Amino acid sequence: MTAPLLFLPLVPALAWLVWAALHHPVPLSYNWRSLWQRKASTLSTAAAIAVTVAIFVVVLSLSQGISHAFVASGRPDQILVIRANSRVELNSTLERGQVRILKAQPLVARDEVGALASAECCVIMMLDRSDGSGGANVALRGLEPAGVRMRSQVRLVEGRWFRPGLSELVVPRRMAARFQGLALGRSLDYAGHRWPIVGIFDGHGSAFDSEVWTDVEQLMQARRRNAYSSMLVRLADPLRAADFIQDVDSDKRLKLEAKPEPVYYAEQTEAGKPIQVLGQLITAILTLGAIFTAMNTMYATVAGRTAEIGTLRALGFRRVEILASFQWEALMLCGLGGLAGALLALAFNGIQTSTVNFQTFSDVSFAFTITPALMAQGVAFSVLMGLAGGFFPAWRASRIPVTEALAG
Amino acid sequence: MKFLHLILRSLLRSRRRTLLTILSLGVSVFLVATLQSILGTLDGFAHNPDSASRIAVRHKTSLANFLPLRDGDWIRAQPEVAAVMPMQWFGGVYQDQRNFFANFAVDPEPLARIFKEEIVAYSEPQFRDFVRDRTGCVVGQGLADKFGWKVGTVVPLQGTIFPFSPRLTIRGIFKGKRSSDEMVLYFQYKHLEESVSWMQGRVGAFWVRARAADDVPRLIERIDHHYRDDLEPTLSETENAFQLEFLKMLGDYATMIQTITAAVLVAILIVTASTMAMTIRERTTEVAVFRAMGFTGRQMLGLLLAEGVLLAALGGLLGIGLAVLAAGALRGTIGVSIPWLNDFQVQRATLLFCFQATLATGLLSTFIPAYQAVRRPIVEGLRAL
Repeated sequence: MTAPLLFLPLVPALAWLVWAALHHPVPLSYNWRSLWQRKASTLSTAAAIAVTVAIFVVVLSLSQGISHAFVASGRPDQILVIRANSRVELNSTLERGQVRILKAQPLVARDEVGALASAECCVIMMLDRSDGSGGANVALRGLEPAGVRMRSQVRLVEGRWFRPGLSELVVPRRMAARFQGLALGRSLDYAGHRWPIVGIFDGHGSAFDSEVWTDVEQLMQARRRNAYSSMLVRLADPLRAADFIQDVDSDKRLKLEAKPEPVYYAEQTEAGKPIQVLGQLITAILTLGAIFTAMNTMYATVAGRTAEIGTLRALGFRRVEILASFQWEALMLCGLGGLAGALLALAFNGIQTSTVNFQTFSDVSFAFTITPALMAQGVAFSVLMGLAGGFFPAWRASRIPVTEALAG
Repeated sequence: MKFLHLILRSLLRSRRRTLLTILSLGVSVFLVATLQSILGTLDGFAHNPDSASRIAVRHKTSLANFLPLRDGDWIRAQPEVAAVMPMQWFGGVYQDQRNFFANFAVDPEPLARIFKEEIVAYSEPQFRDFVRDRTGCVVGQGLADKFGWKVGTVVPLQGTIFPFSPRLTIRGIFKGKRSSDEMVLYFQYKHLEESVSWMQGRVGAFWVRARAADDVPRLIERIDHHYRDDLEPTLSETENAFQLEFLKMLGDYATMIQTITAAVLVAILIVTASTMAMTIRERTTEVAVFRAMGFTGRQMLGLLLAEGVLLAALGGLLGIGLAVLAAGALRGTIGVSIPWLNDFQVQRATLLFCFQATLATGLLSTFIPAYQAVRRPIVEGLRAL
């Protein structure tokens, strides 16, 4: 997060401005009225800044949505086991014998039903998008009943969970709108079977919001596979994660790799990189443009008010005060635009979208979430533009000689 | 033309304002030009004329399912088919995940025929060596340059999809037309098949070259029809359609780019309109003087419009210049994270579009303030003197 660092050098500038406003007031209402008097140019500048801030906020929410989809997926007391070097579950294979060894491991947590460990099978299925733009690869995960209980962030919102031994699907609510036929009571044809959809779940923004779930044995039978993909294990004592990982790594029978679940998902965050890089680039360029615009407007303001500035000086206001006053005006102008832009970005709130995970080539769905914190960042960003764009015009205003100003 | 001097003088009157406007227009146009070029580059992959006679055949369920290798024999026997090649995305990693490049396991014999348009220059003896060496591979010139490889270098690849990490000897280096065609490694499919037990007799896709591009639709239909009721049904499509599917998975990038373009164009319009309004407002008196001297209203309007258009054109040219200059840098940065953008290029059509868009913006934004200024009665304008 480099954004807060960017604001650090501005803190003294802002502090100075607040101090100036409190102690040597050229009244702020004066600036406000001046802005209001030149409605056309104020509004058009604010609009240009609003567009920039809106794009800034939306891009920020985009990259946050992607990161959130992965970061929210893991629990620190759970370990994911995959084949060494396979990087993602989709590429990994786990034999039944290996699964038996892992389940008997003494560090694994148990509840009244049995070991809290789920051998799972991940495959890809093709689903048609509901907007008619063709198909997309979607992850299909087969779980053991324990696997459902171990994902505490996943809640059933409609229907019921799949029953072990039946070819039934449970789908995430977020995907239901984006793909054809993902609704309770409908069914999908896959691998020569008909799979009824019996439930809809909500993964609270985690990676599971991009997966369709079913019973692992049914899925493996349908795909004529006899190897699992991965295994998720909860530890009785979270502090002994390192011991468990060490144990798996050193077991010559296994040749497997164990990772804490959050670590595995953090590695997957790479999936969002291209969009994030592009977004940052766009924002940086637009910001530069907006600063020039703000500067232009403020210069025009200063030029149009030479006589007024002369009067202020003649009344006894000092140069520093004029400097502060015009900076305040630029801040108001940009803050106005920033506020408008943040509100504009709200229009994107809740829109579902997707990108692809380049490591699995499967669909990652997430939603734009415009949080108050993001909106505040947007407004702060506009303040930054105001400071950058307002300084030179304000400096110029404070340097105008009194006599000349009054004569003009 | 005789008024050009006059227009230039008016633009230069407030140098700072003109400069700032041009700069802010310039960066915005730069953004639009770059974004549209990204769109154009990506589209180029889905509308590649070179791949018109190539078909990709894969499992109907998904790319991660495999087809039986024997399907290739039936396809090869079709009269329209010139060559068939099993092709498997290997997804191997060289040293570090960041060194991403495409690597495929293929049948070495038809390779150069299938990718005739991509593998433009290669040496026959080198490719014969590749055919003879089961652990050999061929790489593109670009890839070889990037890692300093030569013929004979051993390249260890770490398998990710497959539990198999081959050590491949480079037997040949080929040249391609586009730089993305040169960022590829091909090795022998047989090597993969023999090393991974569950790949015995199976492959991810077949790449098929038809004798003529006209045969392609018929061939696609025939293949899919033949395997319709098979245990492993096929899905055949043109290579372009295949690429398009991958691009679609990137997300709705086209809508995103078009939305941003529209937003930026609106912002440009507002910025130019505001500058021109300021300029013209300050010249109310001047306009009145000109008209009192005998300039017609239409001439005055023309002069002001020309000024706005010239301003926009200068901004547009700056943006376009920046976009052309920055293309190389972009290729090196974004091209790494999105493989398709290795070929990022600023297209001429895009530049033309940007230039026209800025000119239109200049015209549109000047019209209203200029029209108002010209319509104002002369006497009123002179009164302000």
